[in-house]
Amino acid sequence: MLTGIIVYGLVNSSILLLVALGFCLTFGVSRIANFAHGAIYILFGYLMWIFLNWLKIPFLFAILLTLVLSGIFGYVAYYVAVRRVRGIVLSEVVSTFALGVGILEFFRWMGFVTYEFSLPPIKKGSLYILGFPIDYQRLIIILAAIGLVAFLYFFTHYTKLGLSFRAIAQNERTAIALGIDADRVAALSVAFGSAFASVASILVLPLGIISINSGYEALLIAIAVGIVGGLESIPGMILASLVLGFVQIVVGVYVSSAWVMVVYLLAIIVILVVMPSGLLGKFKELEERV
Amino acid sequence: MLEGKNLIVFFENAIAVNNLSFYVNKGEIVGILGSNGAGKTTLMNTISGLIMDMKLKEERKGGERITVLGQLLFEGKDITDLEPHKRVELGIVLSRERHPVFLESTVEENLRIAACSRRPKESRIGIDFVYSIFPHLKTIRKRRAGFLSGGEQQMLSIGMALMTKPKLILLDEPLLGLSPILQKELVRAIKEIRDDGVTVLITEQFARPILPIIDRGYVMENGMLVMEGKGSELIENPEVKAAYFGV
Ligand SMILES: Nc1ncnc2c1ncn2[C@@H]1O[C@H](COP(=O)(O)OP(=O)(O)O)[C@@H](O)[C@H]1O
Ligand SMILES: [Mg+2]
Repeated sequence: MLTGIIVYGLVNSSILLLVALGFCLTFGVSRIANFAHGAIYILFGYLMWIFLNWLKIPFLFAILLTLVLSGIFGYVAYYVAVRRVRGIVLSEVVSTFALGVGILEFFRWMGFVTYEFSLPPIKKGSLYILGFPIDYQRLIIILAAIGLVAFLYFFTHYTKLGLSFRAIAQNERTAIALGIDADRVAALSVAFGSAFASVASILVLPLGIISINSGYEALLIAIAVGIVGGLESIPGMILASLVLGFVQIVVGVYVSSAWVMVVYLLAIIVILVVMPSGLLGKFKELEERV
Repeated sequence: MLEGKNLIVFFENAIAVNNLSFYVNKGEIVGILGSNGAGKTTLMNTISGLIMDMKLKEERKGGERITVLGQLLFEGKDITDLEPHKRVELGIVLSRERHPVFLESTVEENLRIAACSRRPKESRIGIDFVYSIFPHLKTIRKRRAGFLSGGEQQMLSIGMALMTKPKLILLDEPLLGLSPILQKELVRAIKEIRDDGVTVLITEQFARPILPIIDRGYVMENGMLVMEGKGSELIENPEVKAAYFGV
């Protein structure tokens, strides 16, 4: 039982981290709460499905195409849905949420709601860890979560674009004074967030079917992990994913799986009341950015 | 090199820069002297283009709070409506008032961030140049900027501006709040920067430390330039003496 909780807790935490990473990256860099995040996650799940099943594009190429298109989508979405209302938090949320609902309900209207809509796993089969069975896909999810965090660290410390992400995140006006184009960085931060969402959908969606509702759920996951973790630190997101991921598994095992979703909402409420800046967040940064 | 013609900047209920014209020649160190609230920072923000960004943000929120009138020429080109990052590309950079740097990054990372808008080959050269001007920065290059003293942050802020390889560097009150020893050190560095081919426009409240190195100076009061002269002329002026030497 304990092995099971540990293994599935890790898998679940990795899923939460993968789903939330893009949302938190965008917010951490440019303070844009992209409420279309869950819809983007599903959009590129469906697109991947269309590439594989209708257009018969080879698997690896379809992945590449999905990643690139999701990045472009995020970039364009910034200019279409966010730029004009930039800085007005409520309008940003309403605008991106409207975009998200539009995307999701479009697929519902198109009839993308049956069981045939599922993505293939990257590798079929399973193995035993400490006598406990786990399939390759879930193992890949854990490795991918670790890999993505490592990538993010490398990217934000050693590439020019990543460094300008951190510059804007830390002090936008100083960054602008040094010649960084804040608008372009904001658009790229949405592009990266969107590409991260498509990575998550390629890895996580094969565990079930692609459904409209999981788009709304993905947004909830992103918000929960972001708020619990503090929205701007990678360690905070990892910690939040682990806490939420394990609590959910324990609740699922000992209470009832019906309560699993409640964990997100309770966590959001408790954190907002007790530690409004999150487990590892720093609210003071908001003042320093001015 | 730089020329401002009839610049006017209104905030909602105040005029911060009032119909002023000035020029900076290549290779000069030009000072703008004025007390707190004279409009020095607003002028610097207007030259660097930061004011455009402030204006844009205000307008997105629905207000029409900032108005900028007049004309700015850099090397004969009209840059009045140019975005700040394009001005940095042209070679104008601002080291902001109160030296805001990236507090969570190390000294060296701050410098690398500042070089983001430059081609990578040039970056290393830039860092060596900055360390040659501020040798102290090299000894603390692994330290987080949040743990630096005000003087160290000021050096870093100027170093970051240099990393963009500017032709014209704008220094907004770089000596503010520093000890006389540090002020001396910075004044030496500023002279060295100019001797290396970078034109300098510097603002200060107190004239004494920078008068020896400026080629020309303007005195600013209530958004207007009330006096212009060579460093030596300003020093002789009794009003400047009284107002800015604290006599
Ligand atoms: N963001 C702003 N909104 C409204 N008024 C401002 C703003 N910034 C500066 N001012 C006003 O403009 C005038 C000049 O300020 P500033 O340029 O900061 O002067 P200095 O740098 O010489 O101290 C002051 O009267 C100040 O109150
Ligand atoms: Mg000032």
